[in-house]
Amino acid sequence: MPGIDRRLIQNFEWPIFVMGLAVALIGIVNLISASPERSAFLPDTAWRQLVWMGLGLALLLATLLLDYRTLERIAVPFYGGVILLLVAVLFIGRIVNGSQRWIDLGPMNLQPSELSKLALIILFARLLARRSATSPIGLLDLVFPAVLVAIPAALIVKQPDLGTALVLCVVSASFLAVTRVRIGSILLIVAGGVAAVTIAWLFFLHDYQKERVFTFMNPERDPLGAAYHAIQSQIAVGSGGLFGKGFLHGSQSQLDFLPEEQTDFVFSVLGEEWGFVGTATVLVLYLGILIRGLMIAHSSKDLFGAYLAVGIVSLFFWAGAINVGMVIGVLPVVGVPLPMLSYGGSALLTCMVALGLLMNVSMRRYIF
Amino acid sequence: MNRLTATGSPADAIVERRLTAVAVIVVAVWMLLLTRLFYLQVVQGDVYRISAERNSVRTQRVDAPRGVITDRNGEVLVGSRPSFDVLVVPHETEDVPTTLSRIAGLTGRDLETVRTSYGDPRGRSRFQPQRVAHDLDRDALARVEGRLWALGGVLTQVTPVRGYRYGDSAAHLLGWLGEVGADQLARKEFQSYRRGDIIGVGGIEKLLDTDLRGRPGGRNLLVDAHGRELQLLSAVDPEPGRNVVLTIDHRLQEAAEAALSRDHKSGAVVALDPRTGEILALVSHPAFDPNEFAIGVDPERWRELTSDPFRPLMNRALQGQYPPGSTYKVVTAIGGLEEKLIGAHSEVTCGGWFRLGRRTYRCWRPGGHGVVDLHTAIVQSCDVFFYKLGVDLGVDRLAYYARELGLGARTGIDLSGEMSGLVPTKEWKEHRDGTPWVEGDTVSLSIGQGMNLWTPLQLATAYAAIVNGGIRYRPHVLKRIEEPDGRIVHGVDAEVLGELPFSPQTLAAVRSGLVGVVNEPHGTGSVMKNLPGGVLAGGKTGTAQVVALPQGARADLEDVEHQDRDHAWFVTFAPADEPRIVVSVLVEHGGHGGSAAAPIARDVVTRFLQDEMDLYAGNRP
Repeated sequence: MPGIDRRLIQNFEWPIFVMGLAVALIGIVNLISASPERSAFLPDTAWRQLVWMGLGLALLLATLLLDYRTLERIAVPFYGGVILLLVAVLFIGRIVNGSQRWIDLGPMNLQPSELSKLALIILFARLLARRSATSPIGLLDLVFPAVLVAIPAALIVKQPDLGTALVLCVVSASFLAVTRVRIGSILLIVAGGVAAVTIAWLFFLHDYQKERVFTFMNPERDPLGAAYHAIQSQIAVGSGGLFGKGFLHGSQSQLDFLPEEQTDFVFSVLGEEWGFVGTATVLVLYLGILIRGLMIAHSSKDLFGAYLAVGIVSLFFWAGAINVGMVIGVLPVVGVPLPMLSYGGSALLTCMVALGLLMNVSMRRYIF
Repeated sequence: MNRLTATGSPADAIVERRLTAVAVIVVAVWMLLLTRLFYLQVVQGDVYRISAERNSVRTQRVDAPRGVITDRNGEVLVGSRPSFDVLVVPHETEDVPTTLSRIAGLTGRDLETVRTSYGDPRGRSRFQPQRVAHDLDRDALARVEGRLWALGGVLTQVTPVRGYRYGDSAAHLLGWLGEVGADQLARKEFQSYRRGDIIGVGGIEKLLDTDLRGRPGGRNLLVDAHGRELQLLSAVDPEPGRNVVLTIDHRLQEAAEAALSRDHKSGAVVALDPRTGEILALVSHPAFDPNEFAIGVDPERWRELTSDPFRPLMNRALQGQYPPGSTYKVVTAIGGLEEKLIGAHSEVTCGGWFRLGRRTYRCWRPGGHGVVDLHTAIVQSCDVFFYKLGVDLGVDRLAYYARELGLGARTGIDLSGEMSGLVPTKEWKEHRDGTPWVEGDTVSLSIGQGMNLWTPLQLATAYAAIVNGGIRYRPHVLKRIEEPDGRIVHGVDAEVLGELPFSPQTLAAVRSGLVGVVNEPHGTGSVMKNLPGGVLAGGKTGTAQVVALPQGARADLEDVEHQDRDHAWFVTFAPADEPRIVVSVLVEHGGHGGSAAAPIARDVVTRFLQDEMDLYAGNRP
């Protein structure tokens, strides 16, 4: 492998890079609005996020130097390492607001559940790429992948972090969309899913998580809890109007009506201060990344690259759709952060590396 | 060109076809989200803008009434009383500093305190009412109410606060309340608590917090820019907490507290039912008033409580550890009988001293007791008899018998913070001091001086087992937990921890000695004679040395500094044949057990018997 191939520079994947950077920068600006403190020019959370973004950018560019096909080789150890971290976090993890999700690394905290998304995507891309190309996938072929998802998902539910576990499951299931699967198998998978939900409900879910589900079915149930969050969030987004109230002028967010405004409900801060113009801009940028990602999958020179791109697109798609859906009141409050916009270093880092991999696949489509 | 499309394999073709379908789905979902956003922000934007500007929904939390704590007879010990508070809504107040100083003037509160309660408004909702004065008296409330029209953004509110009806009575047992700490909020077991929640800090309040606290409700109110409540949007009623019934008898508790605090600075009383282990009274003196904590304790007062040399926050009944003095002699006696080193009639001559090697140990009575058997030795608390017996038994056999009585280990009472006391052994001393056990240590040990440490609770439970026929019950203060409607959620029954592995003859001989202590000539516990209804009691005095005085130089109390005086013990049971109550009393630095501690025990037993008789006569108030 040459260090820097001239063709790599010629074929630099500008669209993803520019759109990704734009979303990340909007995220930083929006975090300034979402921070409760007003003393410094750059609040603590926005400042940290900026540092993570710099780190993510460096890592993104670094991954470009490496041929993505190398990932096929490290897929298994990477997955194993992430599982070990997920086990470790249950014992030595830091607890914040009743959830044990982070490993303390001194100045920063690592959230292994974010890495697990990437690990699973790479692993599945490898599994699918190595399959015999013609034979359709039967049910038995899905048992092993299901176990591969179930292990990290169960560990993450235990933390508890229902949202991330959910994203992990739907992203993995989305791979079925681009493989040959029998209809009967899909029906059985649905049945299995129902069984899994039942088991999770009985053994893994915390009371507050069950409460959220009840609340979505019956919003009157808890006026202080999730339903209230949803109502306040809709008021924030709606009151932004076409052009928004202006930077740092959102009354809902500035007056702390919004819950979790730096993480799960960061999009409502954007909606209030920048209006439909702001939310549409971000959504269009997102859509650009998704479509461009699918194009990269389409033009990939090998199946591994195609599946890798599909997985990454699926990650952005589901997390984005679930979060925005939750903020604008069409989905229950499940606690899924918005990629690139919500506060969270490990998540931002994971997203930027994921974008780097997309670019990687794109830039190597002519090299063989 | 090795492009995906160019390979031509069927799998690739499928992927290609599917990718187009996926792209269609992605675009469709995004169009859905954009449409919904367009509807929310552009079509309905004005509606939401108005509701945001009218500052919309104010959420009020409605705290659940905390469960009531009663004594065994249904007497309410801890309930609620109304507190009148003044609150300020920052958003509706034009000039906060002026408003605060006017509130301070009207309520007579210190301006600095009012400012501190208001706190730093940054980082919290401008619509959230902030409490600036708590628990106003009616006059102050009337003054504020009269000026409300001129004070924009100020409101008054009645909230229930915890009321400890009898002030410092049973304070250690009941505990107190405080705000849940930041360190607790970070832990999983506290995940149902929110910042600002009230939580039990000590005693029953802490132990049964999850039962007592109930579940808060809430109200969402639509309010206008002036803070007027326009509409109740939704409400969930709070679920009241469960009620707790204790085994404590409040009348007995008060009798014990009154007797102990009459002449003494510090001490403890434990009264229990030897047939069940139910605690009837649990007193630690000095105490504190939990009402002070209910409205947020003043930092200065807190410093005062924590730096008080008499340590009022410590529950001496289960946390105070003291040498047992002569109350220990039952251990030596049981050991001697069980090991058949003595019989009931074996005699020893007490000449007032006991020689071991080159040292001489004196009996407390100069001149000695003459010829004594076990019974007389217990009655008159003869030291020489037990010196000899203790040396014959040796430290480790003494330790065995003490342990069988439940000493040197926690009794398992349903309160936290209990201390285990200490039963020394050879090995223990060698481990701690690095010096071997010497027989002289055994001599002091066998009359309860030296290294033994007991809590007043342990003394009561050990004697209860001796006098109830040899059954050790777990002492407990909780009788039952009830739902607000009276349905019993959890009832506590007598729990047998074990039986004393001693012969009935041994226990009978010791018990007979203890009855003699009260009722025979020269007995050290004669204060317990002539109880109401002619009931006979038994008991044992104890005087625990705090500072070793020169042998034989028993100074008069007045000559000794308070902190160097001996601790006074007394333990008693009544009626003598089938005891229904056991009382242990410890008076710190009280001097002699028979004169300092026994009168307190007498007051408690008298109250107990009197109440029983009143109950049977049907004239109980």
